[in-house]
Amino acid sequence: MTDMAMAALPIDLGSGPFAVTTQGLGKRFGSVRALDGLDLQVPEGAVYVLVGPNGAGKSTLIRTLMGLVRYQAGTVSVLGRDPADRGAEVRADIGYVPEDYRFGYAWMTVGRWLEHQTVYHPSWDAEYARELCTRYDIDPGRKCHTLSKGQSRRVQLALALAHRPPLLLLDEPTDGLDHVVRDETLSILSEHLADSPTTVVISTHRVYEVEPLVDHVGVLSEGRLLGQLPRDELRGGLLRYWADVPEGWSGPGELGGRVIRRSGAARAIEWTVWGDRDAVTRGLSEAGAAVREVAPLSVDEAAVALLSETRREAS
Amino acid sequence: MKIRLSHADGRPLYVQIMDEVRSGLVRGTLRPEDPLPSVRELSSSLRVNPRTVSQAYAALERDGVVRVRHGKGTFVAPGVRPDEKERPRLAREVARRALADASRNGLALADLMTALQEVEGGGPHRDGRKEGGQ
Repeated sequence: MTDMAMAALPIDLGSGPFAVTTQGLGKRFGSVRALDGLDLQVPEGAVYVLVGPNGAGKSTLIRTLMGLVRYQAGTVSVLGRDPADRGAEVRADIGYVPEDYRFGYAWMTVGRWLEHQTVYHPSWDAEYARELCTRYDIDPGRKCHTLSKGQSRRVQLALALAHRPPLLLLDEPTDGLDHVVRDETLSILSEHLADSPTTVVISTHRVYEVEPLVDHVGVLSEGRLLGQLPRDELRGGLLRYWADVPEGWSGPGELGGRVIRRSGAARAIEWTVWGDRDAVTRGLSEAGAAVREVAPLSVDEAAVALLSETRREAS
Repeated sequence: MKIRLSHADGRPLYVQIMDEVRSGLVRGTLRPEDPLPSVRELSSSLRVNPRTVSQAYAALERDGVVRVRHGKGTFVAPGVRPDEKERPRLAREVARRALADASRNGLALADLMTALQEVEGGGPHRDGRKEGGQ
């Protein structure tokens, strides 16, 4: 089945230009389908957040874009190249924070490791690298194996940003960081975006943290996209409606929108609907509901609503 | 000028930034020809996408509230008189929010008007105590 037929929300972002695309991307690990006909579209200059439960395929997708995982079906284009046969070139242009926080060689100092990276990234900005090390309180004299998870994460973030790559792939970038460093990371990312033209793909379970930075959202489940759209379209089109309804109300036959989630009590409903706000409000009113409030959802709430719909349909 | 955003607010972030600049004018914390923070500074301090700040500044410029001087930054436009345009605009915004809150609580406009006059005139709710709580 194609994404188009499965998706609850739109997944086609139009004609681009895109920094990253996949078409019908498929990857199996044994009998497990990790990616199942995925059509990713990341517009140039976008800050794109990938949301989905554990095992949805987020890390596999990012590793495929890096050329670290071999895909079996479909096509992939990262900055105009196929990472399957031009992996090294592609990786030189990407700032990558992997899910795994281990890096480098245990015996090597952090400073030596950073120096080592300049070989792979000709655009390395030494002054910026020093600034990032200062802001992240990174001690270049430390041996890699003595770093805590949070300290490793900071080195990985500095490394990803310091060559000002055209593409950042950040897999759970704030994982292991304390509150202060997480907040500092968001500030650093904002400045980085103001200073350098960059496309960013972020996979995270803490969507609320990065939400103010994000302008595109992709919701992933079981290797497929349930929706892929600009943040503003999600805000405008996926809305929660609170309404008072008569006892035993059965709902409208035709509602000018797609109900994603139904909840609420006997006489007060709370529905999440994808559709035109005026049309849905009219549909509810004509069916006898008194609409009290309509409000947009956070990206987190939208993802939860979409994912719970999928589970209900599967069961 | 201190700009604060609420992520629980239904308004898009760029609209919140615009409204904060406008209420700064009404309160007098921003005056004509005052500089606004750069896009980089503001996006970094708010932890938002720089495009969101650019979008807000561009919309404020279209509305004649700010002026971009190339190479120098963004400034409050020289001719802005908050009392003429911004006060009523801000008042309408506050009214819209109050009405939405009232209707969520099952109250009509008349209920809200009565309560506003009572609170302003020192009526029964003046001390914020519950009715019959004295």
